[in-house]
Amino acid sequence: MFDLILSQAVNGLVLGFLYVLIAVGLSVIFGMLGIVNFAHGAFFAIGAYLALMLNRDFGWGAALLAPLLTGLVGMLVEFVLIRRLYGKEPLLGLILTFALALFFEAILRLVFGAAPLPFNPPRFLAGFLEYGPVLITKYRIVVLAVTVFALVAFWSFLEYTPFGRIIRAGSRDAEMVGLLGINLPIVLSIVFGIGCLLAGLAGMLSGPLWTVNPSMAAGAIMPAFVIVTIGGLGSYAGAIIAGVLVGVVTAMTIQFYPDWSSAAMYVLMAVILLVRPRGLFGEKWERFE
Amino acid sequence: MSSNSLRHLTRINRRALIGGAGGLALAHAAASKLGMPYIGNAAAADPIRIGMIYAKTGAVADQAEYMAQGSLLALETRNNTLLGRQAEVIWLDEPTSQAAQQNAERLVGEHNVVGIVGGSLSSSALAISAVAKKAKIPFVAANAGAIDLTGRLCNRYTFRLQPPADVHTRVLAPYCAGLGKKWYLLTAAFAFGQDIKRSFTEFSAANGITLVGADEVPVNTADYSSFILKIRAAKPDVVVGGVPGNDISTFLKQWNELGMKGKIPFAEIAVGATDLWGVGPEAADGLFTINWYHKNPNNPPEEQMMAATYEKKYKRPAADKTWMGWMAMNALLDSVETAKATEPGAIVNALERWGVQRGGVKAGYRAFDHQMVNRLLVVGVKPKITDKWDYFDILAETPSNDAEIEKVFGAQAESACKMDAL
Repeated sequence: MFDLILSQAVNGLVLGFLYVLIAVGLSVIFGMLGIVNFAHGAFFAIGAYLALMLNRDFGWGAALLAPLLTGLVGMLVEFVLIRRLYGKEPLLGLILTFALALFFEAILRLVFGAAPLPFNPPRFLAGFLEYGPVLITKYRIVVLAVTVFALVAFWSFLEYTPFGRIIRAGSRDAEMVGLLGINLPIVLSIVFGIGCLLAGLAGMLSGPLWTVNPSMAAGAIMPAFVIVTIGGLGSYAGAIIAGVLVGVVTAMTIQFYPDWSSAAMYVLMAVILLVRPRGLFGEKWERFE
Repeated sequence: MSSNSLRHLTRINRRALIGGAGGLALAHAAASKLGMPYIGNAAAADPIRIGMIYAKTGAVADQAEYMAQGSLLALETRNNTLLGRQAEVIWLDEPTSQAAQQNAERLVGEHNVVGIVGGSLSSSALAISAVAKKAKIPFVAANAGAIDLTGRLCNRYTFRLQPPADVHTRVLAPYCAGLGKKWYLLTAAFAFGQDIKRSFTEFSAANGITLVGADEVPVNTADYSSFILKIRAAKPDVVVGGVPGNDISTFLKQWNELGMKGKIPFAEIAVGATDLWGVGPEAADGLFTINWYHKNPNNPPEEQMMAATYEKKYKRPAADKTWMGWMAMNALLDSVETAKATEPGAIVNALERWGVQRGGVKAGYRAFDHQMVNRLLVVGVKPKITDKWDYFDILAETPSNDAEIEKVFGAQAESACKMDAL
């Protein structure tokens, strides 16, 4: 039994890190823009579809551009729509992004049809590895490695680059950043684009694992919200720890109580919020108090 | 950030207003193209209206799209006329069973439909059936497989095309038993999945099969890898699935990814061809029951004609779900013509007498439970797939004649249906 638990835990880690990638984008967008982006799952789906198309027409090398293109789509959406909501009633943001989620799903359905499209891992990553009781596919190892790399790179970018400092400062006091002569609208566009890029990266990595269909956003957005809530809104470390927790708890529930597997993360969220209402690493943010 | 700090970014001027209005117009145009309700062929005043409830979003949206297109094709081939009058289809969504029920009520109360076709999921079909009974409107369920629909919860106004789970099980289970005596059940946690679990559990108990595991899976599960690890550890001879729509596509992709394809056979009842097309040739695997297959040379001429018309129009082959949508709508439209009226009771009587010859079997609805009796196909995924639309080898057609119908579909004495009066 211990073997199986270990195997499930490793498997849960991969799932959890994929969720983290989606949740971090969501968290950054909320932290900087104050927008709860219900359309974040749609960018995840757009990333998967772009990767599928680029892979089909040009090969896997081209598919790697999918996250970047998703980020550009995100920046366009921010420029055309999202920025009109800054400083307005938060409810407007919820309504607009919810409508955007439905709109993007309908567009994907219109362009690609409702049927799922075949998309498999590259042939050179076919197969799996067994280390004692642990079984993991080569593709999932790559997913884990890419995800961890992306998270470390993004964290380093936030911590050690001048632009990262602007983002961090802007997330705490956007007005002051603007008063220092920094072009805030461009910063906000880039932040929204980065958040969407991370969702697109998760979509690209998930496409060969999950089913690429217009409704795939639903499978990504709810865990992402749960992770952001558990980790604490706007907390980078919180999102990572919460994501791993959700992945492992889900995998363990499947092992012992499969009927409860979809409810497990919500129960976990409820328990953590009862103990710590701001989430594990949630802080008191002046601008949202 | 104060509420005024970014107001300069969002000031509304004339250009923004015009842009917004243009955007709204565009959104309205898009919504009319993409959204709901769809109203096909709104032409003359006071046309005959047929209601259609198929999923536009969610796990079965792809199957529902094929069913809707099949249903629309049935009316189009009649030049959108019924009883010499213009006819139109009103298509509403079924995102949840509660919404399906509300939309059925809308179709009856607001649109005055003469009948309803649809129900992609059993839960929706059961909800629509309750409305059909209350409003006394004929309802032909195209895809729902829950036993209760034509069993315990049957009613005079509800007819069902898809054979229920126990019928599919009687057809497929002997093939599974031929593969081994240790089974693992992986079924969806909703009405149809639970029926599959119950039917296969009963079969296994009666036939000396050992169940080495049985998991219920939430609908729309994105990652099956943890379930697959459990199955791998249990070492069954066969995995019997009961997961719907996109979920089976996801499962089979991950089944292949984790190296299980070809190692442990997978079988599932009532699968859709579209589910396998979405998996792709590399990962597709399994033994299935299916209602219809476009490559079946035994399809009657009118079905071959429907398939050709569909392929010409939609640039892709007709799937089994296309046929189901087409067949369900045809039954309703034929019955309106036979009844020579739009009065519900007359249509129900006509539906009870409706039938078409399909090979050695006369397909039609049984009077005692309104379940369609028909032939089913047992198919296996081809060892090597060379045509992206042709995944299956047909292994059997059952029942092959009228004498076998009762054996496969069960006798009246076995039915839990207590049919009510009109």
